[in-house]
Amino acid sequence: MADEEDPQSLVGTFPEPPSFYKDFTPANVSRIEELRKAAGIEDLASRLPDVPEDLINLQPPAEPENGKWRVFGDHYTLEDKLPTLEEVGAVSLPPTHPSRLQASPSSSQVAQNNHYDHALELKRLTKSLLLNFLELLTTLSQNPGHASAKISDINTLLINIHHALNEYRPHQARESAAELMQDHLDTIRRETTSVREGVDRARRVLEGLGSLTFAEREASQAPVDEEAEKKLRKQQDGLTLWNCADALLA
Amino acid sequence: MTDRLTQLQDAVDQLAQQFVAAVHFVHKRHDYQTLGPNDKVREVKPEEMQQTIDPLPAEDFQAGLSELSRDLITKEQQIEYLISMLPGLQNSEEDQEKSIKELEEDLKAAEAQRLEALKEKDEILAELDRVIQSIHRP
Repeated sequence: MADEEDPQSLVGTFPEPPSFYKDFTPANVSRIEELRKAAGIEDLASRLPDVPEDLINLQPPAEPENGKWRVFGDHYTLEDKLPTLEEVGAVSLPPTHPSRLQASPSSSQVAQNNHYDHALELKRLTKSLLLNFLELLTTLSQNPGHASAKISDINTLLINIHHALNEYRPHQARESAAELMQDHLDTIRRETTSVREGVDRARRVLEGLGSLTFAEREASQAPVDEEAEKKLRKQQDGLTLWNCADALLA
Repeated sequence: MTDRLTQLQDAVDQLAQQFVAAVHFVHKRHDYQTLGPNDKVREVKPEEMQQTIDPLPAEDFQAGLSELSRDLITKEQQIEYLISMLPGLQNSEEDQEKSIKELEEDLKAAEAQRLEALKEKDEILAELDRVIQSIHRP
């Protein structure tokens, strides 16, 4: 067997890497790439139909044939769906609400229904849970031998409540997705507004500066008698310009 | 903080645990009673009594009973409140899909606007830079 474990690998704090990592030599990798090309397979996930024995570890294993596998003692299926109560061996309580009585029990149709009666159904289940507990206590006080029937009733009720809640999960997932998107949208809009505000402020400052430089140019073009006076005027103009700019930017 | 469905499932589990706790309390903490005037509670040695029941004084037992039942009712009401707070009760699957599509469109538009605003900001920054560099303080 290719995946037979080296007994030494069981010793040590951390488990050894799977032994097949040694198969990934450059030579082997290029060989399987050639084989892939020859078979015309681009996708890494699709498998070559027959590979040489020594290259078998270089491509991912096939999907389990019946769609089921076990990891750490738990069962998994390829199809990620909620098993119905009948499949797990529990009694499914029929819906009592009139709008759901007519609907066929297929889950897609139930999902199409308004979920409002879903909540009602849950509330009824909870209420019967409490009532059944009261009945259980009465039975226990009068005839403890008959209590096991009540206990299994309560069990069924609890399982049904959990099942109804799990059925609701996809709905909640969609709802949370919409909520997240709404939050994201709000953040983007806020950001855009604040950026726009900044731009507007900067533009106002620029416009202010522009009008000031214009004024300065006019002043400098005015006729002047003496060189000294001209210099002084220019200096004064420059100072007022800077004061105005400081005031604008402050 | 978990999502509301998990909260609800936890609450239901807690209610079930409270059931067990309540039955256990009634089972273990009661005192012996006489059924008729001629009955007599048999004297039990304290160490023997420890194994079967651990009686509380009558008032304490009553108080415990009422507290447990109050807790049960409170928990049940919590569950009902959580049920009525389930997200999107009034939305059907189609509504949800529609609103998600709309949100997607809105997001795209908002993102475009944001990029536009950023571009504008860069332009104005460059202009400001140019103006500032061209000015010299006298």
